[in-house]
Amino acid sequence: MLDKLVNRLGTNFVRITVLFLVLVGIILFFSSQIDNYLNARLFNRISISVAIIALIAVGQAMVVLTRNIDLSLGSIVGCVAYFLGGILAAHPGIPPLLVPVIAMLIGACFGAINGYLVAYLKLPAIIVTLATLAIFRSVLVESSDGTSITTASLPEWLIEFARQNAFVIGDFRVRWIVVIALLVALIAHIYLTRFRAGRQFFAVGSNPDAAEFAGINVRRIVMQAFLVSGALAGLAGFIYLARFGNITVVAGLGLELKSVGAVVVGGVNIFGGSGSIIGVLLGATLIDLLDTSLVRWALVSEFWRDAVLGMLILLAVAMDTFMSRKLLMRRNKMSDAELDRSTATTAVQSTRLVADNQAKTP
Amino acid sequence: MNSNNFSARILAHIMSWEGFLFTVLAVLIVVNASASPFFLTVSNQINLFQLSIEKVIVALVMTLVIINGEIDLSVASIMGLAACAFGFLFQSGVPAGGAVVLALLLGGVCGAFNAFWIAWVGIPSLVVTLATLIGFRGFARVLVEDRGITDFPEWFDTLGQQAILGPIPLSMLIFFVLIVVCYIVLQRSTFGRKLYFIGSNRDVAEYSGVDVRRIKGLVFVASGFISALAGVLFAARVGAVRGDVALGFELDIITIVLLGGVSIFGGSGSMTGTVLSILIVLNLRNGMALSNFTGHLQTGALGILLILSVMVPNIREAVARLWKSFRATPT
Amino acid sequence: MGETVQTPQQSAVHEMIGKAVLEMRGISKAFGMTQALDDFSIRLQAGTIHALVGENGAGKSTLIKTMTGIHQPDSGVLLVDGNEVAFHTTQAAQVLGVAAIYQEPMVFPDLDVAENIFINHHDRPAFVRWDETYQEAEQIVTRLGVNLDVRRSASGLTLAEQQSVEIARAISLNVRVLIMDEPSSSLSDHEVKRLFGIARALREQGVAVLYISHRLEEIFELADVVTVMRDGQHISTRVIAEVTEDGLVAEMVGRDMQGKFNRQPSVATDHVMLKVSNLARIGAFRDVSFTVQKGEIVCFSGLVGAGRTDVALALFGIAPADSGVIEIDGKTVVINGPQAAQKLGIAYVSEDRRKLGIAMAESITTNITLPVLERYCNTLGLIDKQREAADADRFRQQLNIKTADLDAEVGTLSGGNQQKVMLAKWLNTNPGLLIVDEPTRGIDIGAKAEVHRIIRDLAAQGVAVILISSDLPEVLSLADRVLVMREGQLVGEFTGEQATQESVIQMAVGTDRQGEVA
Repeated sequence: MLDKLVNRLGTNFVRITVLFLVLVGIILFFSSQIDNYLNARLFNRISISVAIIALIAVGQAMVVLTRNIDLSLGSIVGCVAYFLGGILAAHPGIPPLLVPVIAMLIGACFGAINGYLVAYLKLPAIIVTLATLAIFRSVLVESSDGTSITTASLPEWLIEFARQNAFVIGDFRVRWIVVIALLVALIAHIYLTRFRAGRQFFAVGSNPDAAEFAGINVRRIVMQAFLVSGALAGLAGFIYLARFGNITVVAGLGLELKSVGAVVVGGVNIFGGSGSIIGVLLGATLIDLLDTSLVRWALVSEFWRDAVLGMLILLAVAMDTFMSRKLLMRRNKMSDAELDRSTATTAVQSTRLVADNQAKTP
Repeated sequence: MNSNNFSARILAHIMSWEGFLFTVLAVLIVVNASASPFFLTVSNQINLFQLSIEKVIVALVMTLVIINGEIDLSVASIMGLAACAFGFLFQSGVPAGGAVVLALLLGGVCGAFNAFWIAWVGIPSLVVTLATLIGFRGFARVLVEDRGITDFPEWFDTLGQQAILGPIPLSMLIFFVLIVVCYIVLQRSTFGRKLYFIGSNRDVAEYSGVDVRRIKGLVFVASGFISALAGVLFAARVGAVRGDVALGFELDIITIVLLGGVSIFGGSGSMTGTVLSILIVLNLRNGMALSNFTGHLQTGALGILLILSVMVPNIREAVARLWKSFRATPT
Repeated sequence: MGETVQTPQQSAVHEMIGKAVLEMRGISKAFGMTQALDDFSIRLQAGTIHALVGENGAGKSTLIKTMTGIHQPDSGVLLVDGNEVAFHTTQAAQVLGVAAIYQEPMVFPDLDVAENIFINHHDRPAFVRWDETYQEAEQIVTRLGVNLDVRRSASGLTLAEQQSVEIARAISLNVRVLIMDEPSSSLSDHEVKRLFGIARALREQGVAVLYISHRLEEIFELADVVTVMRDGQHISTRVIAEVTEDGLVAEMVGRDMQGKFNRQPSVATDHVMLKVSNLARIGAFRDVSFTVQKGEIVCFSGLVGAGRTDVALALFGIAPADSGVIEIDGKTVVINGPQAAQKLGIAYVSEDRRKLGIAMAESITTNITLPVLERYCNTLGLIDKQREAADADRFRQQLNIKTADLDAEVGTLSGGNQQKVMLAKWLNTNPGLLIVDEPTRGIDIGAKAEVHRIIRDLAAQGVAVILISSDLPEVLSLADRVLVMREGQLVGEFTGEQATQESVIQMAVGTDRQGEVA
């Protein structure tokens, strides 16, 4: 019964529905546990912290779709936040609109290093980004010389910007940074679902050999994925700087693991080829919600959050593995029946087809 | 023809990765020794080891894991979890000796947990151990939260810090014993032989009647157990336990193993290579520390080394191609 | 097609016919020690179905991959429309209208059918209009005569359906040269008919079709021109009307091997080593029953994909049978894995040396001792390397393995010597039943003769041997009995003396012409 439903609606849709239900379940659970939980303030608080993680998770999703992984994102966020802070302290006059662009450019440079090593030198992404995670962080620590960026050294507008609401509905305040994150997610969603180049990300992750055989430029797509994830980490770095103001050398530490968590829990297949940005947003929200709520839950220590995150990732991957295996087995049986139904064709039909096709091209 | 072959093989030995590592090590030692007169003293050498002893112990068993064609990213988290479990149990009134045993068992259980998902469910080790890297660390934090646990019994701290055999402390003794054990396992036991074949070509091993799942499972249990041992040794050496014990150690450990010439795709590598690589990394860190490089810069340098070490096959190929085209050029 | 008035387009097609679209001149390509293509030349003409035949390992797949830009030739020239080109990527080949459909279809399981068709269209607009995409895909698919939902995901499509997707992909790209690599090997009869319809339709439109198949009757039904290749070399190209089936077979196997069967008297005993009754595995083979006696060499003949290897894998426990009875030495046994098979004295020498046979990066000695490693342990449980080396050396002399160093990686040996190492590995288990799968594929004549000698010696020692081979002269010179498989079933049996190349091939391909009027 359930199998049939899954088959008709598509696995992606089911995943997102399940995720949504889990999210609602968690909110209901905590609202029964924590006084004054379910209100507009929860939304305001969560939406701000999700904004940063969502940006990184969208980039991570692009990389994971191509059957790779980017573990260096936390260090990139830290580097960009710190360097950008330094640049703004030295040149406060930079036009505000230019600042996020600079942030994305710095991020993309880091991404380009990863992309080059993975796409063109064909080194395993996990090893490369594990190494650059350390390298980028040590670049940051070295160049900072132990000093931190402080709010006082930053231009006024930047700190203001982080607090500005784009619009307010009742008690619900939607800040600009939330709007930016949603906008980026929307663009990524449209790119991945409606653009041919975006669809090739799925093709590369789904079957890299076939992609190569079919004439898709696999290397360029993997490079693009790392560039985008670097650039989005840069943008996240900009928001991080604006929101926190005080940046030390440990900024962004551990964000890479959270982003992997959001992506995997959000239903992106860790072996590439399938997933959706909507799922990633839900995954990011789920992880952040758990984080924030565990802190406020009196019964259990907040320190459970990493343990829960790790098990959540494992569970999501295991469920994916089981589901795809079962589905494949079912489909194989079904196709035997379909085989009998499919009927022979006549050469005439095919002739017409080819003629039509050739006539269409000038 | 025959003598030509023979000299080619000698050349191949010198040009081998181990030969290269040995040369690098020799250069490092000479440079370090000339930089500081204290470098070659026994106490400095032991000190050198002591500072990273837990990492290098785990690197030995990680060699087995990677030769087997897998990876274990969760080792540092298991180290942390075992140390924290020890601290937690001790604080809750379990005698220190019992707490050590339980912490070691917990490490084995963590390894078995990894093994279950990898060998029996069939999820790649990279994904499983990435999840448990987060998860096990999380459990460590659940146990000790943001406290630091200290005041262990004196015998425990002494065991971690004092020499027990001549100038050699317990952890170093364990390290040396483990080198011998791992060497014998890899070179002389059927288990080690099968390890190589599974890493080299899993299907061939399976077709030859090797129980691939059992071997893979055992390697991960061993990895968990040894990591826990290293974690407890860390607690004894430092005399305190916190939630971030051994945080990020997996990077150093994997770097050492890959630099030692173990292929990330499995099937090749040797204990000799790993041991040489351990000596190089220790000396490099020592040398950098002597030259006033910070710990973070050292970590960054290790990251670069890691990338270079996975590029070894690329470099080898490029050299071979260059050599070929050089010889093919008509004179 | 009785019209007298031609549309401009049709006349354009007629002008094109006969022109060489794709031409290869003196192409060579080597992989390590093996020369896959040796000075090979071929001309593919517009509006022509060009068949390519050759035995397994003749170099056909390398040829295709060189045409589509996956491999780059070591030497030789590739011409499209008379202009010299070099395909560094598959995309470069695609732009010039060269596309291929592989034996194992290449689809993207996570994408739906429509996307699979259009994913590599570099000239389509960047923005995907889904409704339009589905409509166009629907058009192509329905007119291909395939009943396929273009919105369904490609995972779980049957091989035939995946192939249809690939054909649709090629057609939608305005293909000028379509290469089909054994497209019919996994299709049912009416699917093959449909495929032929498509191929003919493409010919009508001036496409050059390169059709590769083992099934000779298909080639006579479909092709205009046929090229025979052997050992990476071009043997002949002729118009189909000028060739006979026997002639083709002779050219494929090589004339020089004919009449040199050099048969030896049988050493089979009466003792039944293996008895198989009604063995079946769903989707692979069914109703397979036979016996093998001690000292007997039983050959399985048939086309690739006829189920021969599947039977062997069932006997070795890799892919156990679903039903049926296996008896060894008169006792009914259950074989659920290679370990169980090995305990029963069964050894299987795989056809895929690289992937399943031996670990190329490990040493000769360790490969030989792997299946029986426990035998070399001393009292401490450690491997006695001297005993290992002694056994390896014994096999080196016995099988004449040519190497100075038994600790060298197997990958450094020639193909023939690798094959001998693989045989040594399994002989080391002292098998009572030895299954050898294509033991001489891709190795030189000298080594081949040695492998034959080894197999005969084993039979003489009382080992029951099952030989799976597509090399007919080999089958005819070794076999005490020949069993022929077709589409998962045993379809015939010859004694070694009865069997001829013609009779075996005809039974294997299913053109039993005995009843026909000559």
